[in-house]
Amino acid sequence: MSVTVRFLRPFARCLVPYTFHRKRSHLYSGVLQRYMSSKVPSLSCHKDSASHPEQLELDAWKATMKSSIQEDGVSEVSDKDDDSLAATRELIEMWRLLGKEVPEHITEEQLKTLMECASKSAKRKYLRYLYGKEKAKKAKQIKKEIKAEAREEAKRARLLETTTEEQQDFMFLRLWDRQINIALGWKGAQAMQFGQPLVFDMAYDDYMKPSELQNTVSQLLESEGWNRRNVDPFHIYFCNLKIDSAYHRELVKRYREKWDKLLLTATEKSPVDLFPKDNIIYLTADSPNVMTTFKHDKIYIIGSFVDKNAQTGTSLAKAKRLNLATECLPLDKYLQWEIGNKNLTLDQMIRILLCLKNTGNWEEALKFVPRRKHTGYLEVSGQSRELVRKLKKTKTLNSFQKGSLNARTWKR
Amino acid sequence: MTFYLSGFRSIPKLWKSNPYFELGPATSSASFFFCVIGNQQRWLSVKATTPPNGKALNLLVTKARTHKKGNNNNEQVSSDPHYFAAGAAKKRSHIGANPQDQGHALPVRSSVQLPTKPLNSKEWDKLKEDFKGKASFEDFIISQMTRNCSSVDVAKSLLAWVAAKNNGIVGYNLLVKYLYLCVFHKQTSEVIDVYEIMKAKYKSLESGGYTLLIRGLIHSDRWRESLLLLEDVKKVMVPSKKNYGDCIQGALLHQDVNTAWSLYQELVGHNLVPPLETLKAFFDYGKDINDDHYSDKLLDILLYLRNNQLYPGESFAHSIKMWFESIPGRQWKGQFTTIQKSGQCSGCGRTIESIHLSPEEYEFLKEKIMRDVIDGGDQYKKTTPQELKRFESFVNSCPPFDIVIDGLNVAKMFSKGRESQNLLGVVSQLAQQNLQLLVLGRKHMLRPSSLWRKDEMEQVRKQAHCFFADNISEDDPFLLYATLNSGNHCKFITKDLLRDHKACLPDARTQRLFFKWQQGHQLAIMKGFQKSKLTFQHTLSYDTVVQTTGDSWHIPYDEDLVQRSSCEVPTKWLCLQRKTPGPC
Repeated sequence: MSVTVRFLRPFARCLVPYTFHRKRSHLYSGVLQRYMSSKVPSLSCHKDSASHPEQLELDAWKATMKSSIQEDGVSEVSDKDDDSLAATRELIEMWRLLGKEVPEHITEEQLKTLMECASKSAKRKYLRYLYGKEKAKKAKQIKKEIKAEAREEAKRARLLETTTEEQQDFMFLRLWDRQINIALGWKGAQAMQFGQPLVFDMAYDDYMKPSELQNTVSQLLESEGWNRRNVDPFHIYFCNLKIDSAYHRELVKRYREKWDKLLLTATEKSPVDLFPKDNIIYLTADSPNVMTTFKHDKIYIIGSFVDKNAQTGTSLAKAKRLNLATECLPLDKYLQWEIGNKNLTLDQMIRILLCLKNTGNWEEALKFVPRRKHTGYLEVSGQSRELVRKLKKTKTLNSFQKGSLNARTWKR
Repeated sequence: MTFYLSGFRSIPKLWKSNPYFELGPATSSASFFFCVIGNQQRWLSVKATTPPNGKALNLLVTKARTHKKGNNNNEQVSSDPHYFAAGAAKKRSHIGANPQDQGHALPVRSSVQLPTKPLNSKEWDKLKEDFKGKASFEDFIISQMTRNCSSVDVAKSLLAWVAAKNNGIVGYNLLVKYLYLCVFHKQTSEVIDVYEIMKAKYKSLESGGYTLLIRGLIHSDRWRESLLLLEDVKKVMVPSKKNYGDCIQGALLHQDVNTAWSLYQELVGHNLVPPLETLKAFFDYGKDINDDHYSDKLLDILLYLRNNQLYPGESFAHSIKMWFESIPGRQWKGQFTTIQKSGQCSGCGRTIESIHLSPEEYEFLKEKIMRDVIDGGDQYKKTTPQELKRFESFVNSCPPFDIVIDGLNVAKMFSKGRESQNLLGVVSQLAQQNLQLLVLGRKHMLRPSSLWRKDEMEQVRKQAHCFFADNISEDDPFLLYATLNSGNHCKFITKDLLRDHKACLPDARTQRLFFKWQQGHQLAIMKGFQKSKLTFQHTLSYDTVVQTTGDSWHIPYDEDLVQRSSCEVPTKWLCLQRKTPGPC
């Protein structure tokens, strides 16, 4: 019997790239069809089912299964690298048959990435990621089609109705989006001149893997968007952003030609070079100091760092090295923390800071902390709340004046 | 896969004992839906199916027994095991905690009763009508069968029914699960049939299918084909240690020793840890052959166990004993014993290897701790360069210490009393014995408060050397370094198991060195001090590792009934010695 095995195996291996290159997606259906057509019952049922008396015909299926031997032609494959690639492809296909979470289609590039994964679990994770991506893409495609159909439908309906055409008087042309953009641009320019600085420290690219870096850039994009739409935006600084670093490339890739027109300051310098050290406060969840109020004359630094590896204390070490003041959000003071990391995403941070800047109200600001992380607000006792409010009033008044003064000095 | 946990709490043990469960998420989602959607909430009748394997039941029983045992131990604190003894952590966690088992939380529900005997197609049709759920019926039912280890015939009738509906085609997932049942019930002829089918139908399989086929084929005459399957696996990924283990066992079953050894070499070459059953198989096989070459290799395995700090299980220990005793002419005698506190084997009276590191190892560890735990590439993470300098000059200015105390850990050890009072109590008791003490703490301890009284801290400072780190620095790395720097006689007091610092070390070897050093030098306080005298968990004086002196072997092993956590070592030993000194 081993003769057949030796014969069959290389034979089967040779088949693979050929079939796949021809029509990857239809492999399974093709296989199915082939078996459907070969329904001829086979003779080689060597197992006697007579051993089970009064038994149902239990082994019949085996015969049909066995009879379906592949009858494809042979194609020559020589390259060894190709061979392992094809084998991996086949493995994925078999896993898919088994119902594992693997993608249906996989490109050469992805296959190469997969082969480079160091361990089995890394491979599995990467495949699951591809699977999720594929599923999301498919769902989106379907949604798109449904929408297009609905639009067509609506269009047709409108065509039928457009018999009654009447003149209407409008005050504005429909150019809202553009108007809004221009207005936001004006506000951004104002923030560039007089706004309070908010620094994103980009010195963490060495600590992050490519996927984490991509997440960080997404969060940065979102933060910038939130800032732009605010009544009183910050003047954003991207500090320590090295030209042609992974960060820079990714940002340019995402913003495209808009990158050079963004109303923010991107610099290779460190925040310590730009601002007086005493005015800087580094925000980090590891800080022992808790932020009590938002100060309008300080420069807050947020580390743009997505840390999925639990490298605790990295940003605190950074602040310690530069000898900067640090603070963390008073999450425990106001919220009944339940699960999850105290590290918030960059866009959540900027929304909290914007809210604090405009209202100074912690309850309001901490609404942007994800609801899944806490069960609710803690009752701050009435007396202390009164105190806080009083403090806030005086503080905001003071800082307002200070802030406006500072704005002028910053401009230089 | 987490779905299982919620739904099937009460039977995980059943299929923990199943060696392979790589059946994929399709099953898991199916079962999940059943937990949620099964409105009828009928109980799955486990009794009605074939009795689940006896091994699983045994496991349950032994589990219960260990549990009981643990509780008994709690009451008699006097016979305390050492801090790193097997099962000690579990016991500690039981103290104070409610010893109620949370294992039996959720019952299993299913809307379909598993058949116990083969059904014909009409009956299957009817059963399918009863079925409500999102997953496909066949998928669901066969994964239920694999879970309950139904008989092969029932599964076969299901496949026959599916095939009849599908023009004789059975899906790969059904086939694999059927194969699993066949392998589980050791139906070799069925395995071969399925193997033929798979070979005919698919060009290549995936890892789960290969694993099952290998495991099934090794018992048959066609076991050599399992080696071919192993080759197929290798094309895409490194085979698992179980794949290798199965192939080795197959080779040993069929008296092909050379193949077995070369597979073993390959397995070790891939940096996989061989399964202990495989190693046991080598010893079991060794009883029948009398070959010096083979016995040398077995001794190599024992050295492998030593170098990687692996401990055999109870049955493996029996196998080792039997093998040694079966060597003709050498007259080995084995017995199961324990080691006395002094480090002498109760069986033969020999002294077990000392726990102390060799000078080279000691220097190596010291440097590694300094470089990886304290510095770690960024001195600012755990401390600051200024503080590090201050600490180094402080340590160098003091005489070598006898005991280094983790001040905060000791102070918070007793819930009663002020923290500074606790610390003072420990320090003064130790100071009476004329020991050079070092108390490590943080600066906030010096600031007078309700917990830290100034006068008591003054007294502490009088009786011991003190070093106070910044409040945001970590004190444990300093503790480690101060102890290591003082020399081999120096011990340290903390209840912390220091696992996070161990994890900072770069490789497994250094971590083992650290653990060995920790076992020999860590003192853990057991009892309060105010009324009773300060007592410590005794430290080990001997190293728990497989060891030999040429004409004797001492092999620690894990008992089946005790759960050992990774930071503990076994307490039971196998003592082997030659009765008459042989010509070696």
